[in-house]
Amino acid sequence: MGDTRLVGQNYTTPDLHAKVTGRSKYAEDFRVDGMLFAKLLLSPFPHARVRSVDTSAAEAMPGVRAILRASELPEPADTVTDLGETIRANPLSERALTDEPVYAGEPVLAVAAVDEETAAAAIEAIRIDFEPLEFVVDPLVSLRPGGPNPREQGNSWGRPAGNPTGPLVVQRLEWSEADWSEYAEGRLPAGTPQAQWSYGDVEAGFAAATLVLDETFSTPNTQHHVLEPRSALAYWRDGKLYMHAGTQSAVQTVASIARWMRLDVSEVVLLTEYTGGGFGSRATGAVIYTIPALLARKTNAPVMMRITREEEQYIGGIRPGVHGRVKAGFASDGRLVALDVFTLGENHAYEAQGDAISSGRIISLLYQPQAMRFRGATVLTNTPPRRAQSQPGGLQGVMLMEPVMSKAARQLGIDQVEIRRINAPAGKAKFGPPAGNGELQYSTSSFMREALARGSEMFDWETRKARSGQRQGSKVRGAGVAVSSFVGGSVGFDGLFVIRPDGRMYVQSGVGNLGTESYSDVHRVAAEMMGMPWEKVAIIWGDTSQHLPWTCVSGGSQTTHAMSRAAHAAASDAIAKAKEIAARTLGGNAASYRVANERVSDGTRTMTLAEVARRAIALGGKYDGHELPTNINRVTTVAASALAGRGLMGVARDDYGRDGGTFSFVAGFAEVEVDVETGQYQVLDYMAVGDSGTIIHPRAYGGQVLGRGVLGMGHALAQKTVYDQHYGLPVATRLYQSRPPTILDVPRNMKWEAVNLPDPETPVGARGIGEAPVGAGASAILNALAAALGDDVIRRAPATLDNLLMALEHGRPMQEPLTAHI
Amino acid sequence: MSNDDAPTTRSGPTSLGRRTFIKGVIAGGVAVSSAAYLFRQSPTLSGQTARAGGVERLVTLNVNGQDRRVDVAPQETMATTLRYKLGLTGTKLGCDRAECGACTVLVDGVPRYSCSVLTHTVRSSDITTIEGLAAPDGTLHPVQQGVIEEQGFQCAYCMSGFIMSAVGFLRQNPNPTREELAHGVSGNLCRCQDYDKILTALHRGAELSREVARG
Amino acid sequence: MATIHDVIAPFQLFQPTNLDDALDLLDEHGEAAMVIAGGMDSLDWLKDRLRQPQVVVELSQVSELRGIREVDGGLEIGAMTTLTEVAEHPAVIDRFKILSDAAALVASPQIRNQGTLGGNISQDTRCTYYRRGWACYRAGGNTCYADTPTAINREHAILEASRCVAVNPSDTAPALIALDAEMVIRRGGRERVVEADDYFVGPDTDIRHLNVLEPRDLLTTIRIPATWAGARFYFEKVRDRMVWDFPLVNVASAVRESGGRIVDARVVVGAVAARPLRLRAVERAVTGQALDEATAERAGEIAIRGNRPLRYNGYKVPLMRNLVRRAVRGGMGASNA
Repeated sequence: MGDTRLVGQNYTTPDLHAKVTGRSKYAEDFRVDGMLFAKLLLSPFPHARVRSVDTSAAEAMPGVRAILRASELPEPADTVTDLGETIRANPLSERALTDEPVYAGEPVLAVAAVDEETAAAAIEAIRIDFEPLEFVVDPLVSLRPGGPNPREQGNSWGRPAGNPTGPLVVQRLEWSEADWSEYAEGRLPAGTPQAQWSYGDVEAGFAAATLVLDETFSTPNTQHHVLEPRSALAYWRDGKLYMHAGTQSAVQTVASIARWMRLDVSEVVLLTEYTGGGFGSRATGAVIYTIPALLARKTNAPVMMRITREEEQYIGGIRPGVHGRVKAGFASDGRLVALDVFTLGENHAYEAQGDAISSGRIISLLYQPQAMRFRGATVLTNTPPRRAQSQPGGLQGVMLMEPVMSKAARQLGIDQVEIRRINAPAGKAKFGPPAGNGELQYSTSSFMREALARGSEMFDWETRKARSGQRQGSKVRGAGVAVSSFVGGSVGFDGLFVIRPDGRMYVQSGVGNLGTESYSDVHRVAAEMMGMPWEKVAIIWGDTSQHLPWTCVSGGSQTTHAMSRAAHAAASDAIAKAKEIAARTLGGNAASYRVANERVSDGTRTMTLAEVARRAIALGGKYDGHELPTNINRVTTVAASALAGRGLMGVARDDYGRDGGTFSFVAGFAEVEVDVETGQYQVLDYMAVGDSGTIIHPRAYGGQVLGRGVLGMGHALAQKTVYDQHYGLPVATRLYQSRPPTILDVPRNMKWEAVNLPDPETPVGARGIGEAPVGAGASAILNALAAALGDDVIRRAPATLDNLLMALEHGRPMQEPLTAHI
Repeated sequence: MSNDDAPTTRSGPTSLGRRTFIKGVIAGGVAVSSAAYLFRQSPTLSGQTARAGGVERLVTLNVNGQDRRVDVAPQETMATTLRYKLGLTGTKLGCDRAECGACTVLVDGVPRYSCSVLTHTVRSSDITTIEGLAAPDGTLHPVQQGVIEEQGFQCAYCMSGFIMSAVGFLRQNPNPTREELAHGVSGNLCRCQDYDKILTALHRGAELSREVARG
Repeated sequence: MATIHDVIAPFQLFQPTNLDDALDLLDEHGEAAMVIAGGMDSLDWLKDRLRQPQVVVELSQVSELRGIREVDGGLEIGAMTTLTEVAEHPAVIDRFKILSDAAALVASPQIRNQGTLGGNISQDTRCTYYRRGWACYRAGGNTCYADTPTAINREHAILEASRCVAVNPSDTAPALIALDAEMVIRRGGRERVVEADDYFVGPDTDIRHLNVLEPRDLLTTIRIPATWAGARFYFEKVRDRMVWDFPLVNVASAVRESGGRIVDARVVVGAVAARPLRLRAVERAVTGQALDEATAERAGEIAIRGNRPLRYNGYKVPLMRNLVRRAVRGGMGASNA
């Protein structure tokens, strides 16, 4: 690294001034001359077919310009991967509009009018004849023998018996009467799974175990509730589609929009400087964005689609709730010797969101069972789309396992931190599922034990543990610890920047700006390597017409890892070029030069990088981007070609090796105080320690560790979806009914810490941290409650006061453990 | 399923009246002034406005120290007027239902949800939005400066609402504890859930505000 | 006909600047008029397009309806006084603390800055089915969607349900009943005064409304007599989240004691029935008794007599019992931080 230390330092991100002054513009803040306004007609039924539509009254209204029906949408396009592989389009995939709505609130058609009031009146004037169809909003109800199906074809994705290698189809999954024998006791039936894997001798492990637990737990469905609804503005100019829309990823969203619209990526310009949150719900935008685009084409006018909060609740996404049954065998020292996990995930009636299935991998990594069997199934229902939400699958895995670990520790008389330390992954830790050759995979590195040690010291665990369960008046305290993990990065993307003759470094950032600041943070790596003071670095982001390179999707904590590597690769490329230019210009051997302090020098001979940039232009070829590496993505080639001739170009693909899978880890600690006369409780304190390698931007890092931790706490405290099963309709349609955490629901002064040990398998040492904190936040609180009230009080999350109070009143859990959406 | 008993009297179909073109916002790099035009001209008001209490549509609002003439529909909310007619898009709409706080502005110094205030009710009030906090020379308000110093907030869609709540609260309680400040801004939801860093930033803003007040 | 939300349909807006003009407007427009005080409840109805009134009479300019006046040791509070003003008024804090406590626990600061005392006590129920526009009894239909085998009724009534199981969500209403407040209602030139406990009605009396207000009526003033000034007070609100949420159950009490014995008491519980319930049986039972744990225990048991929980609101029974115990013993073990 160069002399100018940037990595590991706090700084003011380039977007912050605009944000604090209100000048930052999100999609719906734009206005264009002649703009029309779109409104959606939503299905009032959980499942229905549109028999006929009478739009005559609406079309006769002055100011109504167009009505868009599902039949006018482009057919779903096949996807061609980077490797040239074609992925056939799924005919039952989610689209922007439909004539067979499969959940209440699904958009059926859209109206464009000269103002919103006219569009709303037009919607009210449209008459639709719906044929109501069979529906179900509870996966277990659907699985019952003869249970209802969410689609005419069935309730799950699978391959028919006759065609085991063909495309996935929706078919009927049903569990026999015998599978339900323990349902009445609140145990999840373990019927025919859709996926299963195992390693080690599970049965032998149980036989040898000192303690065997068999626990059922349910995690909540929770809406993402991004604060900026997915509003979008679209217009066409010179044959190109211009779209203002929020997304987690800039460059990759262009590809999505192009696929949905059946355009070439060169025909789409995305303007997305600021995005009001994502949490996985708009990893590459949202298919609903095609509505203003199509209406704009139809009306030959710009169209704004302002999405309301209620519409966002329907189309914005839900983390799948997962029921889990965990049978766990422990040795007397607390070691997890055998584990048998069955998960059942709820899904909408479109593509599967695989959280229930993917949870097994995180469970395997995080608790290192000596032998493990995993089985899982995902069942479709007539509820809104399930989408990846921060730590998808991982959160549910953690929430299913943590109560088991807590109970085991108490029954074995082992400290809660200790039992997690004993079972913690360390270094290149193995995990399932086994690969094709039967071998387990392994992590690049793990410092979970260091995180636990640091956390228990900082949290003063021993003191808080000692007062757990003690009652004062009507109050009981409890202290809890939880571990968590998720994927921490991907590889293989491109970095691109130019140092121009003005002596400034212009970095092309294809990362979306959803608030994590990674769109800027990762480029600190390149700036530091180039010896550039940060004031001389300009980040170009948020406008895909501005020549942005191939960039990872900002989801699943990929970005910090993937794009710091890409930045490192581009900077290494520019350094090599600068040294060559210096040697060619000043003489000597390129290898004897080094780049630092805006200069390239061999100790005696020196050029400024501004001079290097001028020479690069004069030399042309690879130096200024006229010749490009052959291994970079086509998107980067196009972008770099447009920037050729402007200065010294750093452009490269991340081709660094990596041995293992990249994961990050968090240990979370919480203390709660429960009022046993009301069931109401307060989270007194929370702290979390992250292990995600080298820290690039401490303040942004802390924001993730605690911010995503609080997002997780929502799953413990009060957040959920609510449906009336008889009508299949949502009962909670407002924020005050679905209850994401407020500032007064969490401690006023939380703490975070980082192990800050570099990951050995990435040149910068940094892994991503967006996901792993979530499960720690959720389960630390639930474990703290269990420490206060006992192990068998909470059987599902969120742990709301009604259920706590009833359990305290009756001395046993009183809630319905397996009914969905209550 | 609808509440078929609810009064459903609706004004009949109307011809499009006079369009009110208002100079709008400049879209980064792309365009444009705009016709902020969300409402039809109310068809039923002629001959009624002279009656006691009936409202005139053309009103003067004092926003960020300036008088702004604007045509306001009877059913229009302050968030709508500010965003779509006056181009003050720093005020955000997160829920439009008084349950997120993104639209918070100051009305006579008091934090209010602009999504839930009919614009006609604030005709005689001083309205302050996020755009009105910095000094004319660009010097940031101390609370804004506190956010800059602590890198408060993430996606920042909630930020202007939080800042306006904090500024309003600090007028009443310039030296709050962290706990008191949390209560002061408790009517604002952050979905990035960055509450801890937000409190640190706003608390720093309170400190800077006191320094400014001391001169 | 398809439905859509979040665009307010046009209406004619009147903003009277004095009470007489306001009453004239209400008289003239009768049932066609909707009255807006702070608007926190009303705007929801308008945005949901479930109510599309021709005329809205908006009261923010009527200064006569605002403010807190001290009268004979009691208070007269204008119906348009904001909840923040009520919560922060020195005389309220000093002499009628349950009212300031209750007002301070409503929703959020911004809502308290705009929502009014009159509006808070006169707001409609938050039954999710009813608020979604389902044609239930309360909406003029012939069923209750919240009282079926699959209904989500965690927040509904455990007492006094009669066909409809909705509850009154007000936080200040129980406090006002406990303070023996009176509601001053004007219609045209006439004025009537209703005791707070009689202001609220259950579904057996009127299944369409939570209070006695009729079209053309305007609640103008809330009078609090000196009766309970400085009594031993208790208010507690239990809710899922510390901001925005309506009460799951709340309780307000005023107790006079002498020599360790309860001389007189008011105990009122909210969100357990369609009206805030003044627990007269509890009041009778504790009067004359020692102010001790045994009396509190007994009060709690009496309070929940006759309860009929639904599938998901059984917790309200022990919650109400425990809150009434606390309200009687007055602060021991309270969690009202």
